[in-house]
Amino acid sequence: MRSLTEEPNDVKIGLEIHFQVRGRKLFCECEGEEDTKELGTFSRKLTVVSGEKSEKDAAALQESMKGKLFEYVRTENSCLVEMDEEPPHLPGRETLDTAIIVSLILGCRIVDNVHFMRKIVIDGSNTSGFQRTGIVGLRGVFKSDSKSIGITSVTLEEEACKKIREDERKIVYSLDRLGIPLIEISTDPDIRSPKEAREVAQSIGLAVKQSGMIRREASSIRQDLNVSIRGGNRVEIKGVQSLSQIERVLANEIERQESLVEIAKILKGRPVSTDLALEDLTGSSLFSASELFAKGVKSGKRIYGFSLPGLSGVLNKDKFRLGREIAGRLKAVGIGGFIHSDELPNYGIGESEKSEISERLRTKDDDAFGLVILEPTKIEMCIEIIQGRVREAMIGVPAETRGAMENGTRFLRPLPGSSRMYPETDIPLIPLDSSYVREVEKRVPPTVEKRVDYLESLGIPRQEAFNSLWKEYDDVLESFVKEYGNPKICAKFLSVVYSTDSPDVNEARNLMARYARGNIPSESLESLYLEGEFKLSEKRKIVLVRKGSVRSSLGIEDEEGIREIGLDFRIKNESNQELIKIVESVVGDNEELIREKGEASFKLLMGLVMKQARGQFEGKEISELLTQKIKQVLARQ
Amino acid sequence: MSDAFESGDRIEVQWKGTKFSGMFISRDEKVTVIKLQNGYNLSLENSSIKGIELVSKFIPKPALTGSQRGNGKRVFLLGTGGTIASYVDYETGAVKPARTVQEMLYAQPDLSKIATIDAEIILNILSEDMRKIDWINIAKKVYEKIERGEGVVVTHGTDVLSFSSSALSFLIENPKAPIVFTASQRSPDRPSSDAFFNLSGAVKVAQSDAGLVCVVMHSSTSDNTLDIHSGVRLRKMHSSRRDAFKSINSEPIGQIDDSLQIHWKRYEKVNSKPMKLYDKISEKVGLLYFYPGLSEELFNKFAEVNDGLIVAGTGLGHITNRFVSQIRDYTSQGKIIGITTQCLYGSVDLDVYTTGRNLLGAGVIPLQDMLPEVAYTKLSFLLGNFDTDTAKRLIGMNLRGEISDRRTE
Repeated sequence: MRSLTEEPNDVKIGLEIHFQVRGRKLFCECEGEEDTKELGTFSRKLTVVSGEKSEKDAAALQESMKGKLFEYVRTENSCLVEMDEEPPHLPGRETLDTAIIVSLILGCRIVDNVHFMRKIVIDGSNTSGFQRTGIVGLRGVFKSDSKSIGITSVTLEEEACKKIREDERKIVYSLDRLGIPLIEISTDPDIRSPKEAREVAQSIGLAVKQSGMIRREASSIRQDLNVSIRGGNRVEIKGVQSLSQIERVLANEIERQESLVEIAKILKGRPVSTDLALEDLTGSSLFSASELFAKGVKSGKRIYGFSLPGLSGVLNKDKFRLGREIAGRLKAVGIGGFIHSDELPNYGIGESEKSEISERLRTKDDDAFGLVILEPTKIEMCIEIIQGRVREAMIGVPAETRGAMENGTRFLRPLPGSSRMYPETDIPLIPLDSSYVREVEKRVPPTVEKRVDYLESLGIPRQEAFNSLWKEYDDVLESFVKEYGNPKICAKFLSVVYSTDSPDVNEARNLMARYARGNIPSESLESLYLEGEFKLSEKRKIVLVRKGSVRSSLGIEDEEGIREIGLDFRIKNESNQELIKIVESVVGDNEELIREKGEASFKLLMGLVMKQARGQFEGKEISELLTQKIKQVLARQ
Repeated sequence: MSDAFESGDRIEVQWKGTKFSGMFISRDEKVTVIKLQNGYNLSLENSSIKGIELVSKFIPKPALTGSQRGNGKRVFLLGTGGTIASYVDYETGAVKPARTVQEMLYAQPDLSKIATIDAEIILNILSEDMRKIDWINIAKKVYEKIERGEGVVVTHGTDVLSFSSSALSFLIENPKAPIVFTASQRSPDRPSSDAFFNLSGAVKVAQSDAGLVCVVMHSSTSDNTLDIHSGVRLRKMHSSRRDAFKSINSEPIGQIDDSLQIHWKRYEKVNSKPMKLYDKISEKVGLLYFYPGLSEELFNKFAEVNDGLIVAGTGLGHITNRFVSQIRDYTSQGKIIGITTQCLYGSVDLDVYTTGRNLLGAGVIPLQDMLPEVAYTKLSFLLGNFDTDTAKRLIGMNLRGEISDRRTE
């Protein structure tokens, strides 16, 4: 695999980053929550009038969707609007403001009017059959480290349904996610490497989060990637969920595209043809040892063989995977089980059967062959799709929409043109006049750089400051530092608190207050927060005592059981006799040292006292007592 | 400068210090709309545009041609407005109404698989702009087609659909072929439109042996069942849902499943009785919704300008006692005053309360469970084609299934 840091030449990458916006849904007053209660189902079909010859790919897709039933689960946070039973309402002001703020953060020009469009989507993920989307900002420039990235547009659009399950006949979707406002940021293809793509995505993410209006849920940020290499076409990759995935997916996709360009070069020198000699091999004894084929034939399918002139060795050899490309296309229209000669012997077909099939299909030197197990009604479409893909292989990288997987991509559909969009007539133009924009502009947050500089000026380490911005607890961190001082300890502690699933700020505040008053050591913060206890010695520990489910207080646990530490930072019903004893014994043991160093001995002795008194007594009280005792020793001199 | 461009022209626009190339769509006194290459429309304030330049003129696509009309039993499609047959021109993003058979089949690709289609657009108006004279024109056209035994599908806006289906029910007696109204609540430029299923179902009914006027629409929000309503028994009961149309005081007369099979519950078959077209309708019939505070002045105006008046009364069919004396005057002048209920569900009954009995005494005619709009079109039909006495006799009699004695809900 290519090294992740190497910059391949002529790679052009553009990002489409989607953020879910907090608050109500875009076109109705329903709450933008997920996983709300289910309330029954209804079913729909979608029809698209395409007709035009140039849209043959779209038509093929439509064919595959034909007759598909879409079942929708209604939820508590959906209404007639999501059901496509009521016209959309106007977008909420908050949502619109957020889109403007994000556009301004990214240096975009704000449009005069938001003009919502309908973008045709026929996989059922929108009940209407289209996604409503409108440009809010465009032609921006975002400065990421040393580089400027062009921002094509910032659009406001509706989130699609969440797919629950799918079978051959129908797809089931939930309405809970449908209509949550999405901000889509499209960059120009200015990015040159997978690593840079990741960095830009992160920087934009950080900048946009400053609006404070982005939903925090893990699934609320998604990236689509556009990537092309020299000699290829644009490929769109949908649904990248994390930043680290961006880099992996892109590296693999670039490798895939490069191998396709090489395949095209190889094929130029070969007699490639789409004249595939098709033969029905169903009755042949060649497949008698293959369970796969036997099973297919049993279910009424037939075995077809066909030559693939000129394709030997590029279907599956070394880095070449044209076979997988063809299989992906077939799978998209519901045809599985494409087998080719580069992967044989396998599937119960031996070397001798392989050469016999070659003979029957009259293949020559550079020829490969393919096999499918298929209903007879589908063979024509199957051959047509294979011919189409072979034709594209001779050119190079076809323009496609692909789906992101953990490491690579898979074919979804041909890249749609820009044409399948038309105006949304149910929503009037929404004017964004300059006085309104100027009002909103006042709420544009400081840049990430400025904010980090400020946090750093409070004594917070820079990396921790970035981290707090990314996870959106910079405000909490700032307030902690202002209240309790100790910026480094606050930052470290909060980074632990915010690495948990549901950070409990009150609990953290409680512990930090105790620490700030010298009641507990800094090392105990993390383990008290995470585990509820901190070992002082073999037999003593500080524990978090829960009262009910929320409030908690601290206690000391030893052989005698748990004794609560009161709000005065003392063990309840206990005098400071014990503390006096400890201090006196430490001072007694070190009188010489005190006389030698004077008051400067305090620090050392405090440490010794704390070893025994920590957690039980307030730091202030300890230090006062110790100071008093030291003074007494010095006075006796 | 707007005159210089036509929709579809390639242009270049200067705006806020940047330049766009795209397609000119439209321009009014405030904004100029251009379509960007990525498909989005931008609506730019005219005052913010620094300049527009023409890149190339628009070359229109040739109109749809061909003689293919589909396969199957002939059905005549009559367009009267609404958007049931329209499609998107994705190049410019314009939604275009179908105006020819070819465009109709392009917009409704499923139809050609089930029927041989002939089509004519005789009206292109919004539902609420429908006039009584339009019903006569529609009836004449429909009559002409079904005389040849060809089923007719009338596409219509949804708002006043039940008025029109009711009017046609009365104007054409003993139809020799089905007269099927249909409409859509979601326009067919949307992939989710109800138009495709509704229209296919309507065409199927038009190919059947039914001799009646009916309406085919979604029975629920799902795309799996259509209801066939009697043309004189339905009402739009929701402003936006697909299943807005409900049969009131009766069940739908049939249903159509998702494989387009018809399941009749009861229906009138084509019979040998002679078909008749009534081609007149009275303009002097009004429909009044009674409400608390309705002024005497307004009521009198209404009664004075009309020969017949249908009142949607409260509850069992009441109008305030204060109007009883002038009602008596109007009925004695020969005006017909029919009473229906604004409850829609259930029948009027003027024998229960004193007010009702007073109204009866003043000469109103109780119209049982007939819907107000149906009573209105029926009285318009009766006064247009018969003398007052006949109209008075027939208005309360069941002619087309608009009245029933038994109700189960």
